[in-house]
Amino acid sequence: MPIFEKVLYSTDFSPLAKVALDYVKSLKGAGAKEAVVVHVPVLSVELPGGTDLLGEKNLYNLLPEADREYVLNAVKKLEDIGKELEEAGFKVKLYMRAGNIPEQIVSIAQDEDVKLIVMGAHGRSLLAEIFIGSVSADVIRQARCPVLVVKKG
Amino acid sequence: MKGRNLLLPLEPGSWHASLKRLLVELEGTAGAQIHILYVLTPSEWGFLAREEYDTEEKLLALHGAMDEGYTEGLLKTFKRLKEIARELALLGFKTKVVLIPGELDEVIADYCQKHKISLVVLSISRSSLSVFRVSKIVDILKAVEQPVLIAKG
Repeated sequence: MPIFEKVLYSTDFSPLAKVALDYVKSLKGAGAKEAVVVHVPVLSVELPGGTDLLGEKNLYNLLPEADREYVLNAVKKLEDIGKELEEAGFKVKLYMRAGNIPEQIVSIAQDEDVKLIVMGAHGRSLLAEIFIGSVSADVIRQARCPVLVVKKG
Repeated sequence: MKGRNLLLPLEPGSWHASLKRLLVELEGTAGAQIHILYVLTPSEWGFLAREEYDTEEKLLALHGAMDEGYTEGLLKTFKRLKEIARELALLGFKTKVVLIPGELDEVIADYCQKHKISLVVLSISRSSLSVFRVSKIVDILKAVEQPVLIAKG
C-alpha cells in the first residue's frame, strides 16, 4: 500500500489552504487515492468537541444567525472542494466537526487511518505566527503520521 | 511532486528506514535532488565562518585551526551522512551532503533560498537530545517559505 494512499486535507478556506489543496492533488502522482477533507469552524458558541456539523443539520437552527450562515456557507465550500478532488480522481470523504482544531484534525486522522496530513501553516488568523505556533505545532505533536505544512504558493 | 529539489536537514541518528520509504514514495526513484544538511549548532561551531562544508578536504583543512577531536567528530558525521547519501543515490536520487555552522532555522532558511529548494523534509525525533524537537520545528516553519514535510521517527 503506498504511504500516501489516504490523505487528510485540513482547510480553513483561506488562500493558503487552496495552495495546500493543490499539493493534495499533486500527491496523485505519489499514489494518493483517497482524500479526507476536514474543516473545524471557529464559532461564537461552544459545541461539544466532535459534534458532526455535516450530519447534525438539525443543530443549525439552534445556532446564532452568524454561526448558522457561516456553517451553511462552509458546507457549500466543503462540497465544492469534494467535487474538485473527485474530478481529480480522488475518493472523497468530508468532515466538519466542532471543537479544538488540532484535536479534531488528529482525531479524524486516526479514525480514518490516513497516512499524511496536509495543511496550510496559517489561515484566517491575523496572528499568523502565533497560529503556526499553536495549531500546526499541536497537530505535528499529536499526529502519528507525517504532516505536510504549506507556507505559501 | 516528482523531479524536485529537496532539503533534508538531518542528524545521523535521526535517519530511519521509514524516512527513506517516504522519500521514495514522494518522489519516485529518480529525478529529485536531495540536499542532506547537518547544521552545526553554536555550541559546536565556535568561530567557524558560515560557509558550506561539503567535502572532506574542507573539513580536514580545519585541522590546526581547531581542536583535532572536534574536527574528527565532524568528519565522522560527514562520513555517516555520505553513507546515507549513497543509500539514496542507489535508489536513483541525486544527492549532496553539506555541513553548515549557524542557527538551525536561519541556516535552513538561507539554504532554501540559495539552492531554490522546493520542499523541506524534517525527521522529528522524540529524543530530548535532538535538535529536531517540535519547538525547533516551529521555528523552522516560521523561517522558511517552502512547504515542510514533517516525518516522525
